[in-house]
Amino acid sequence: MTDWNCARTEERLSEYLDGILSPAEAAAFSAHSSSCDACGKLVAQVGALVHHMRALDALETPPQLIPKILESTLGPRTQSAGWQRWFAWVPQLWQPRFAMGVITVAATILIALYTTGISPTKLKKADLSPTNVFRTANRQVHLTYARSAKFVNDLRVVYEIQTRLQPDAEPSPSITPAPAPQQNTQPPAVNPQEKSQTSPHPGHSQSRNGTMLASLLSGNWTGNFGAVVICNIPRSPQ
Amino acid sequence: MEPDAQLVQGCLRGEGPAWEELVRRHTRRVFNLCYRFTGNSTEAEDLSQEVFLRIYRTLASYRPAFGAFPTWLTSVTRNLLVDHYRRTRRDRLTDSIEDAMPKLENKQSAARTPDKLALASELSAQLQQGLGRLSPELREAVILRDLQGLDYSEIQSVLEVPEGTVKSRINRGRIELARILEEMGLRPQN
Ligand SMILES: [Zn+2]
Repeated sequence: MTDWNCARTEERLSEYLDGILSPAEAAAFSAHSSSCDACGKLVAQVGALVHHMRALDALETPPQLIPKILESTLGPRTQSAGWQRWFAWVPQLWQPRFAMGVITVAATILIALYTTGISPTKLKKADLSPTNVFRTANRQVHLTYARSAKFVNDLRVVYEIQTRLQPDAEPSPSITPAPAPQQNTQPPAVNPQEKSQTSPHPGHSQSRNGTMLASLLSGNWTGNFGAVVICNIPRSPQ
Repeated sequence: MEPDAQLVQGCLRGEGPAWEELVRRHTRRVFNLCYRFTGNSTEAEDLSQEVFLRIYRTLASYRPAFGAFPTWLTSVTRNLLVDHYRRTRRDRLTDSIEDAMPKLENKQSAARTPDKLALASELSAQLQQGLGRLSPELREAVILRDLQGLDYSEIQSVLEVPEGTVKSRINRGRIELARILEEMGLRPQN
């Protein structure tokens, strides 16, 4: 191996670093690279790079990746089956903090509707057109905002009263997407006063906001929430 | 721990948990390979998902006699990466004729926004930048050898090229990467 030169050193460098040269080749390689500055530098440089790459930790798998893979291959089978998974977030709704959030959202919707001064019993089909809904809403925004603060406070008071009256109210275990206030028969339900107001026509009476709130608090909010939205779509003021 | 071959058998019998275990065991390797090759974690995630979808559909064609499961998995990943590279390169070429020049790689990696994952380690980030400037052939060889730890014969079966080609690509890839990093002002010391 006396003809070992710079070109050959560069060509066999990785084999040398990976220890797959024959003993004779390795000896010739070492002899040349220790006596040649350029090759010595190259061996040190590439050797250090390989060393660093080997020492590098593998990147962590992004946490959402494995669930995504299982989802795209096994499908919903991997989780609790099918539709149940879509409602997995439901139990979280009954935590006090979230309940308060629900109240606030419901209150906002109710305020927006209340300030339009609309009687839901006179709802017309044209009222459901997005243009009309938007026009009405847009017109009422400023007015609504001005009234909001006081209204929310009022609703909070109602909420607190409800909470004290029904400290042990349990959420309904059944998920019923169809709005049907009559289904509000789950024990323990709202107190008798509220119950009597839960008429088949939510929003019909003057105290509809209170009734809605009571229904929301009673645990069957999924159904009634739909009812709130449906029967309180603002009509066009024309 | 069950060997991969047993898990594969379980999968073929329709056992969900066996597949889940197989996925959990190998996702990190696949993701790392995709990330190191593309330099982009979103792309790497999408590609990893694509890899496992393909594995899932073609699992019946895997024979332990052909090689270890990880090698097969790496082959599938590598083939998808090459497809992806060609696809995105064609897109880029349609965008601009100028980008058809060999400097394409440099422009691409320079234009990429810094990635959170890579920023976790400065060396890792600089290395990633350097890898992005290698040609795809040299890049994949270096990644498989030095970041995925495959030996020469495994790389040979993944790339389906002769042994001499594997050796030469690994070697040229390492030397070029060292020069790129030196240009970037990074010089690893032993
Ligand atoms: Zn020399």
